[in-house]
Formats: sequence, structure tokens, C-alpha cells
Amino acid sequence: MTDPRLPGGQPGGLTCDEVRDLAASFVLGALTEAEMDAVRAHLADCPETHDEFAELGSVVPALDAAVPLMEPPSGLRDRIMAAAAADLDTRRLTGLAPVATPAPPQQTGPAPAPTPTARPIPIETARRRSWTWVAGIAAVLAIVLLGAWNLSLQGQLSAAQTYQRQVAAVLDAASQPGALTAVLAPPSGQGPNGLAAVTSDGAMRIAMRDLAPTSGDEVYEAWMILPNTPPAPVGGFTVGSDGSGFIEAGGVPAQPGLVLALTREPRPGMTAPSGDPVSVGTTTSTATSTS
Amino acid sequence: MSESPGPLPLRVATVADDADRAALERIARDELGALDDLYERYKTMAYSIAYRITNDATLAEDVVQEAFLGVWRNATRYVEGRGSVKTWLLSIVHHRAIDAVRRRRATVDLPERDDAPPPALRLPDVWGDVASNLDADEVRAALASLSDVQREALELAYFGGLTQTEIAERTGTPLGTVKSRMRLGLLAMREMLSP
Repeated sequence: MTDPRLPGGQPGGLTCDEVRDLAASFVLGALTEAEMDAVRAHLADCPETHDEFAELGSVVPALDAAVPLMEPPSGLRDRIMAAAAADLDTRRLTGLAPVATPAPPQQTGPAPAPTPTARPIPIETARRRSWTWVAGIAAVLAIVLLGAWNLSLQGQLSAAQTYQRQVAAVLDAASQPGALTAVLAPPSGQGPNGLAAVTSDGAMRIAMRDLAPTSGDEVYEAWMILPNTPPAPVGGFTVGSDGSGFIEAGGVPAQPGLVLALTREPRPGMTAPSGDPVSVGTTTSTATSTS
Repeated sequence: MSESPGPLPLRVATVADDADRAALERIARDELGALDDLYERYKTMAYSIAYRITNDATLAEDVVQEAFLGVWRNATRYVEGRGSVKTWLLSIVHHRAIDAVRRRRATVDLPERDDAPPPALRLPDVWGDVASNLDADEVRAALASLSDVQREALELAYFGGLTQTEIAERTGTPLGTVKSRMRLGLLAMREMLSP
């Protein structure tokens, strides 16, 4: 904690007259960060009440009423809720407090006429709502976090970090309005799993883990399967010793119910799968919820 | 100014205030539905403020998302005595929007100032419903009561994200005059909005 008093002995290095002169700019946020800090330091230490800040600051929220009203895009709600659900599941899986974020600012200036009691809201045990799309996100995060945990226990943290970065790229696509997601899992219950996202403009990303390494000309090929349509190749990739794989492709229809499958092929360029899929998932919308 | 009339009187707590506090308590208990409720209640105001400041739909969406996630993660930091939940939430939106604008401005030169006031500084022609205790007509009247230069100074500061020095440079006005315009503008609005 630095001493806000400068050698001159004035709180924040400002005189009371100087602070009064800055009051309007302060409550409107029209100062540099350094100036704001100096004013805050003065107010924290000054024996005078500086009522002018509450006097001027109490008007500021009224300015919001001057804003012409506009409706946000419908997809914004889905993105916010998906991000909050992901944050919640991260905390549930790790047992951690909320992800650290900068403290939301209090009002631009001192609050209007504070009441004598200031009571933080208590935290209590929660009764959760059920959200169908939360389950999907939870599955994804479980893969990421539990995967990272297991791998780190085995001294393979770098592989986990690689996979996490790939999943982060998928989640970035999944957060876009109208995007679909799919959790890919092995039909047998044991084997490679991962996450896919398809954006409304047809861009697809898949992140996979626990894949057996490829050798020679071998590739893993991703396929999209529409109803009553044979599998169409989307793209292929090779896998190293870390077992993770990532593919990005375009031209994939953002259609709920689209099946995405992954097969191991002897060489690139296959036009039809040569064997059974090692992992399969079906796209769903992230916007569907129940309450 | 020794005869200071003081800050605006505290508003009487409303049903909406109670509902907001209840929602925040549920958010503090990790109830996603409560965040949804709060979003539905204030999405229009939040997005409108963010768009008004950023003048960029994508950036405004990002600002609103950051703000609501900030509320989600920091609900326990809300202090009841320092203003309503709505004011707290919208101040977060405002703060993040100004941050976004200032970051953007750091890489983009400000346009040359026209002699005519920028269109954004004129009073809006259409006033939507204000979902708050504040009366929209009163606020409109208060803003309309200001001189053009006072309103310009307030708008550039509060919605433009400019510092007092930048306002002085932008408007070709001495810094002391800018400070005076902002202060007198706020005092005039307070006078109008006082019961």
C-alpha cells in the first residue's frame, strides 16, 4: 500500500480546492486514471467531507435515461448464459471461487447519499436450475478439466495445455450467435473424445483427445452425415504422441442433428470411411434451455 | 457555492429494487436463472448505453457480455447501501464501454472536429421508456434546459469517454471553461431533477 500523501503533505498530492475543481470531471469519469487515483486517494484521507462529489455524482445515473433505446441481438443472451454456465462448471469441477475478474466499478463517483448500513449479500448453498445446454457445456468442461488433471498427474501437462488451447478455439466458435455444438464420444464408451462447434456461416472446429498416434500415411478423417446422405469428408489430420488433434474446416451446414464422426484412415483423401468411427457426436443448439 | 443543496434525496425502494436485490442474491448462490432474469430486465438499457458509447454493435455486445459476466462473478461485492442494483449494473456497463472506447481510440486518431456539433450530441428525437424510477420526461427537460455547450461537455465526457483535457482540445475551449461547463451542467440537472 503506497502512501497517498506526497511530500507536500496533501492527501493524494492534491489540495482540497484542486479536488473540488476536479469533482465534476471525476463523477463523469473525465479524468485520466492517474488523476482518478489521486482524487480517490485524497478523498480517502481528507478530513473534509467533500459533499460536492455526492451532490454532482447523484445526477450522473440520470444521464443514462437520455440514451435512445435499442434492443440487443437475440444471440447475445445465449452467449452470456453459455459463458456464465461455463464459468459455473469450471468452479464446480475445480472447487474454486469465481474466476478472478477486476472488481466491477462502483459508481463513477461517490454514491449518492449512502445509507448508514452497507450489507454485502450473503452466499448460501444453491439450488440449481436445470439447463439442458448446460449439460453439454458441463460435459465439455469435464473433458477439459478432468483431462488436464489426469494428464498432469502423468507428467503430460503440455499435452493437456495443447488440448485446452484447442478446446478454447472450439468454445470461441461455439460462443458465436447461432452456433451449434457437439460432444464427440467413442461408440464403445472407451476411446477418443472431444468437442466440435459449427458456426452459422459453416465454419467447423473439432478438438479431440485420447487419439492413438498416426503413423506413415495414416490420418484421422472427420465426416459430416446429414439424414439419408452418405458421409461426406470434412478434412483430416495426423496425431502425435500427445494424442490430441484439431481440425478447422468450412462448408459445414449449421443444422441441428448433423452427425459428426471421426475415423482412422490409411491415407488422406478417402471419399468414404474405410472403417467404423472412433468417435461420434450430434450437433445441438446451445440456445435451448429449460427452467 | 456555500449554499449547496446537497445530493438528490434517496429514492424510495421500489418493487423493482427488491426484485433486483433478490436476483442478485440468487446470482450469488450461482443460480443461472437469476442472471437470465436480470439480463431480461436490463438488456435493453445495458445494450443501449453500450451502443451509445461505442457506436459499434459488435463492441457493444462484447461490453454487455463482459458486464453481465462481471455481475455473475462479483455479485457478492455489491454493497446495498451504495446504490440500486440497476445503477450498479449500468455503471459497470458504462465503465466497460468507456474502457473499450479508450482502448480503441488509442490506436485510431480522433476525427477532425467539425464546426457543427456532432449529430450524437443533439438531443435524441425519440425517447424510449425508461425502465427505472427516473422519469424520462424530467430527464429530458433537465437536459434540454442546459446550454448547448454544457450539454456538449457532459456528452463528450460521459458518453464520449473523453477526459477533460481531451474535451478542451476537441472543442478548442480552455480547460477551466470545460470544467465549469460540466459542473454547471450537472448542477442545473440536479436542480431540475430535485423534487
